[in-house]
Amino acid sequence: MSVLDVAAAPEAVQRQKEWNAAVAAAEPQSFWKETGKAFLRHRTGMAAAIVLLVLVLASAAAPLIAPYDPLVGVPADRLQHVFSSGHLLGTDEQGRDVLSRILYGGRLSLLAGFVPTIVATVLGTLIGVVSGMTGGVVAVLLMRFMDMLYGFPAVLLAIAVGAALGPGLTNTIIAVSVVFVPPVARVAEGATRRVVLQEYVEAARLTGASRWRIARSQILPNVLGDVVVYASGLVGVAMIIAASLSFLGLGSLPPNPEWGYMLNSLRGAIYVVPDVVVVPGLFIFAASVAFNLASDGLRESMDTTR
Amino acid sequence: MTVLLDLQDVSKEFPVRLGLRKGTVSAVDGVSMEVHQGRTMGIVGESGCGKSTLARLIVGLHEVTRGSVGFEGRALGSARKRSKSLSRAVQMVFQDPSSALNPRATIGESIAFPLRVHDVPEAEVTARVNEVLEEVGLPAAYATHYPHQLSGGQKQRVNIARALALRPELVVLDEAVSALDKSIQAQILTLLADLQREHGLTYVFISHDLNVVEFVSDDVTVMYLGQVVETAPAGALYEAPMHPYTQLLLNSIPALDPEDRHGDDVGIAGEIPSPLNPPSGCRFRTRCPAATSMCATDAPRLADTGSGHLVACHLYAGSRPLGADPEAAPRPVQIDLPIQSR
Repeated sequence: MSVLDVAAAPEAVQRQKEWNAAVAAAEPQSFWKETGKAFLRHRTGMAAAIVLLVLVLASAAAPLIAPYDPLVGVPADRLQHVFSSGHLLGTDEQGRDVLSRILYGGRLSLLAGFVPTIVATVLGTLIGVVSGMTGGVVAVLLMRFMDMLYGFPAVLLAIAVGAALGPGLTNTIIAVSVVFVPPVARVAEGATRRVVLQEYVEAARLTGASRWRIARSQILPNVLGDVVVYASGLVGVAMIIAASLSFLGLGSLPPNPEWGYMLNSLRGAIYVVPDVVVVPGLFIFAASVAFNLASDGLRESMDTTR
Repeated sequence: MTVLLDLQDVSKEFPVRLGLRKGTVSAVDGVSMEVHQGRTMGIVGESGCGKSTLARLIVGLHEVTRGSVGFEGRALGSARKRSKSLSRAVQMVFQDPSSALNPRATIGESIAFPLRVHDVPEAEVTARVNEVLEEVGLPAAYATHYPHQLSGGQKQRVNIARALALRPELVVLDEAVSALDKSIQAQILTLLADLQREHGLTYVFISHDLNVVEFVSDDVTVMYLGQVVETAPAGALYEAPMHPYTQLLLNSIPALDPEDRHGDDVGIAGEIPSPLNPPSGCRFRTRCPAATSMCATDAPRLADTGSGHLVACHLYAGSRPLGADPEAAPRPVQIDLPIQSR
């Protein structure tokens, strides 16, 4: 048989051996390891990540580095301009140091960005994977309910939920989480429906593995990439929605500083110290842009490995 | 010879919706087949003839609508309902080497997965993974690598290793070499033959490639539109095809040597009819050059023409009743092949 001659040709066997040895000697390339390497080379993404890291560290270390108590003001020193002596970012209408309030406020604002995103990622992935795997009536009920929530404009839904629950940081986080579950669920469902048709999932099914085991070992690792990219872009949006709720008086309770609430309370002084009024806005802007750029960087780093 | 896999009148219908009308597509219709221990059953046919559906019915990825799939006398249900011993015994190698491996899992994890599902002690898992990797001709170091680092042929070796990890008795290969280059195909086919000899494996080898099927199979079944039209030992089928469809199919194999060419390029006239609305009687009659009025009314049954050569065609059923003279060599009716200009 002529086909056998090809297989047994000594040079072919030699070539195959060399190739085998070369691959065996190569580093194993894990997907997440490769993504990490690519992200380190991604300039915009890295710059954004560094900005975020600085913001997070500064907020976390607020008690150590803040020059003043964020809650105690000196009425005589109120509404100082930016770069005035002793107050790098000026003072607010009660004479409280804006830099200190920004640092402490970052704790709440960043928390309000991260926590709803994590909660929504977990719940949304769960709902998406379940409906993507089961299909049928369960999927229709779950996904149409998600679509119903998704039909509301994000901020309006957050205000509705926030208003129903009452003001407070916890309620803000719950409200923003509710807003984010449907889009995450849709992303996860779409990815799951694509993955379940792959032959490796069928191969797992015919070993007799349970659904839970297949979901955990075969489906989740392949859905997570899509979900993580999508969710990382939500952190910035979550911060803005949380700040909007605070601005409207539905978010964090005064006098605790939070960037959105600070913007609201300083708003009356916009003709007196406009330079100070824009400071919290600039931080909200910087943080959300950094989150979005870092998210873009992450997506592009994932692309390059495929 | 012991019968390992026994298909009795197996049918599979898929529900479809055409606007408001509900209908069914009959993908596999009344297929009966016996696969003997240690042998390779090749299944050939055009695309859409139900070969892959049949493979999925055997391994349990689809549930049969009618009929039964028996394995060593026990009924094989769908994959989820199978006992551990049955799901261990029947494994499958998939067509697309890339999509058959989880891209986020190492080769070692992919091969270990079926072992872990079947509660093989963790201490033995690594040893077994290395053992099957060696059997398929890959170094054990590959266990820590990811699929995208491997070539197509190597991935197919890994797929075979995963199917073999549980030490199955029956392996269903669905277009297992179709996605590979010719030279790699040869390597994989040789590997499959070696593994079969070593472990006494039984194969169901599904392919549209007539040359490959001739090379690997002991017995060959030809399918058309969800039905078996002819089944015979490979030598007999390729030497003396009886069913008009098989004759036309074998005629369509391109010859490499100009001397072997038949002069006229003969194709099969027309298109495969829709499985939504298959022709009455014999399903091949719309394209058959030897069709008679009887073919439109009566569906021919698969009948033995002697020495294990089964054919479902009225050309043979009348002249040679079942079991008339088992020693008589089957005499194929040479049909006049229609000449089709290309």
